[in-house]
Amino acid sequence: IDRLDVDSLFSNIESVHQISAKLLSLLEEATTDVEPAMQVIGEVFLQIKGPLEDIYKVYCYHHDEAHGVLESYEKEEELKQHLSHCIQSLKKIYMQEGKPNLLDMGSLMIKPIQRVMKYPLLLCELRNSTPLSHPDYRALEDAFAAVKDINVNINELKRRKDLVLKYKKNDEDESLKDKLSKLNIHSISKKSKRVTNHLKILTRGESQVKDNTFNREEKLFRSLEKTVRHCVKNISFCLQHIQDAMTLALQSVTELREISYNKDEEERGYSETPSNVPNPSHDFAAHLQRLVLTPLSALLSLFPGPQKLIQKRYDKLLDYNSYLQRSVGDESDLAKKEYEALNAQLVEELQAFNQAAWKILLNSLCSFITLLRDMMLMAQQAYSTVVPVPPLVSSISEIQNQVLEEVQNLNFVKDNSANFIERKLSFEKKKPVQILPEVLRQTDIHRSKLLSTYSAEELYQAKRKCNATQEYDINLLEGELVAVMEQKDPMGSTSRWLVDTGIVKGYVYSSFLKPYNPAKVQKVDAENRFCDDDFDNISLFVSSRPASDSVTDTPEGSISDSSSSLSGMCGKFETNGTDVDSFQEVDEQIFYAVHAFQARSDHELSLQEYQRVHILRFCDLSGNKEWWLAEAQGQKGYVPANYLGKMTYA
Amino acid sequence: MSWIPFKIGQPKKQIVPKTVERDFEREYGKLQQLEEQTRRLQKDMKKSADADLAMSKSAVKISLDLLSNPLCEQDQDFLNMVTALDTAMKRMDAFNQEKVNQIQKTVIEPLKKFGSVFPSLNMAVKRREQALQDYRRLQARVEKYEEKERTGPVLAKIHQAREELRPVREDFEAKNKQLLDEMPRFYSSRLDYFQPSFESLIRAQVVYYSEMHKIFGDLTQQLDHPGHSDEQREQENEAKLSELRALSIVADD
Repeated sequence: IDRLDVDSLFSNIESVHQISAKLLSLLEEATTDVEPAMQVIGEVFLQIKGPLEDIYKVYCYHHDEAHGVLESYEKEEELKQHLSHCIQSLKKIYMQEGKPNLLDMGSLMIKPIQRVMKYPLLLCELRNSTPLSHPDYRALEDAFAAVKDINVNINELKRRKDLVLKYKKNDEDESLKDKLSKLNIHSISKKSKRVTNHLKILTRGESQVKDNTFNREEKLFRSLEKTVRHCVKNISFCLQHIQDAMTLALQSVTELREISYNKDEEERGYSETPSNVPNPSHDFAAHLQRLVLTPLSALLSLFPGPQKLIQKRYDKLLDYNSYLQRSVGDESDLAKKEYEALNAQLVEELQAFNQAAWKILLNSLCSFITLLRDMMLMAQQAYSTVVPVPPLVSSISEIQNQVLEEVQNLNFVKDNSANFIERKLSFEKKKPVQILPEVLRQTDIHRSKLLSTYSAEELYQAKRKCNATQEYDINLLEGELVAVMEQKDPMGSTSRWLVDTGIVKGYVYSSFLKPYNPAKVQKVDAENRFCDDDFDNISLFVSSRPASDSVTDTPEGSISDSSSSLSGMCGKFETNGTDVDSFQEVDEQIFYAVHAFQARSDHELSLQEYQRVHILRFCDLSGNKEWWLAEAQGQKGYVPANYLGKMTYA
Repeated sequence: MSWIPFKIGQPKKQIVPKTVERDFEREYGKLQQLEEQTRRLQKDMKKSADADLAMSKSAVKISLDLLSNPLCEQDQDFLNMVTALDTAMKRMDAFNQEKVNQIQKTVIEPLKKFGSVFPSLNMAVKRREQALQDYRRLQARVEKYEEKERTGPVLAKIHQAREELRPVREDFEAKNKQLLDEMPRFYSSRLDYFQPSFESLIRAQVVYYSEMHKIFGDLTQQLDHPGHSDEQREQENEAKLSELRALSIVADD
């Protein structure tokens, strides 16, 4: 009995009853105390036609469904029994009232529909039998028209809704097989017609059939869909990030706290540990989900249905459009009707849809903002409980630097500073790079010989490394000086030239050579040379130094201070074997000073620009790689490494 | 303690008293743990900073997408709302960036600096260990000679071995003492060092969140005309959704 869905069986029967009662009373009012011949009832119908239409519309629309429900109930024994029982008792009542022709539920339910359809007929009859001169004639005419309209409207509504249902159901429940089975000549021709029409519209612009209201609503619909879709995506992402960020932040605070305080202090000072405070993002997430994401997602899922119908309407539009250009016939009428029905339905309902969707969107956004505000407050409160008095920002770095200095003054730090480790690293790095090729490199001597033997026009420099490929070719390294003896090769080709390197004579491609400009050479070399390994190692050190130290201060400081404690270390350094071995394998190469350097103490060596020096050691006594022990003109001293450039013309 | 018999393999001579060794282990252990903590914390703070930045970026994206939407052209009110939201989000991003920078300066940098001390510590411990090995070795040698017959050359050797032993022992003991002395100091320095960082971190968060609260509070004032509560909005949404579902053009499922 509980399963009896009264609402779907009877829908708005009560309203129907009400309006009928009203109609009855109005009619009675109009007819009492009036002679039958003078009775005027047209007005009555005109008065009531509005609500009459609305109420009956609803009832009629639901009747189909109700009928379906009734049929399903008929199949169930229990309900069927119950219904027949009710019918019996109703029959009894009817018997008493003298209306014996009651059949069953079905016929009961259809009565209102029959009634509303009777009105036009009755009114028509009445009008026909009313003389023109009767005061009621006009009213009756109008009433008749009105009631007829009501019926038409009800039908129209039904048709529209059926149409909509038909197209919706089609697209959803079809399987591929169903779709294929529907393919036949008719449908194919229909589709192809539509496509051509669509193209026509695209190329020629306007279609003859337009509905601006619809277009406007559709545009709004589409914008709303896009907005809602983006919002759902972006807000979800943002939520994820907020959760991650909050959690990590709280975790970091806890960890930092552990380091900063002794265990017993924790209980003393800060009773509300961050771990006790609930993570505000959890609440936020839950609320956001409920108030914003769920409604928006639900809304988003409602968009596809209308979209399909919009598409269908467009198809119908195309059909109709195509018929407009040809003769008017049954087909074109049908197309027109279908299009208009669908269009009207969509216009009406899209407006409602858009309105509701707007509201939901706005509400969601407002909720989102409110939730953010609340979460921020919670977070603020959570963090405020943890620290009682915040100190000044400026003093933090002072305090910390002071502590750090103290720590670094501890002996074990001074003795074992990081440079030591990195120095080892860089020496190990140096080993593989210094492998010299067996080929004799051009040296100064060779160059000067070339310079003296040949004139300036004949001198060229290798732009890049040239590898010998053919017979009589020679290898050149970048920057090597050559003198061109002949600008052609034995075969007569002018792209291969015979050159003299001072060591050998051979052929190279002329494209590898550029005229030698002595003025530019040294500078270029300097730049080139700075790109290789030494510079790498220097930069290693520059970054490892504590920020307060400067390059020039440390060598002197470290030489004087730690020499005593470190000489022992240097000794150890040498007995450690590996390091020193690699160190001594390094070719003592010739460098030159890129800039002049003024010695400031006995330890240092003054240099003139472009002065050549001989490097004895690539570090100073404390292992600092920024100062090299150099020798020039019989004098020894330290020079800054970055003032020096390699001089091998390799 | 030369009467202790040699065991197979390394003789475990107690040249260093157990208590000293234990103390050393304990202090060093604490520092090792601290090193681990600082390293982990550094990593976590970096992750946290990245997450913060990602968050504000995604928040800005929300308002950016809304702004670029054609809906804005169609409705002036909506445009105003979205513009205000966008402003708020951008400010959030700016404050967030500032907060991250502040944390970088007062927490992450100091962490790094503090952590750079540990390699030195480890190296010092290693060298003490090496010194200890040398000490043991030489001590064993002395004892070996002492067990032999006290002949002339043996006596000379003993004397020499003792001479060699002495600087090594002194070196070890110096190292040991130094470390035993300095390790606790290093360990306790962490408190003074990190407390300011901690307080700064908290402060940065508090400032940030109070700003955010203000920004979003202002925004809600600006936008929320009738001032619905959350429940009211929720109900309205539900109502609208059912309304929509009742429309025939919407798919029924």
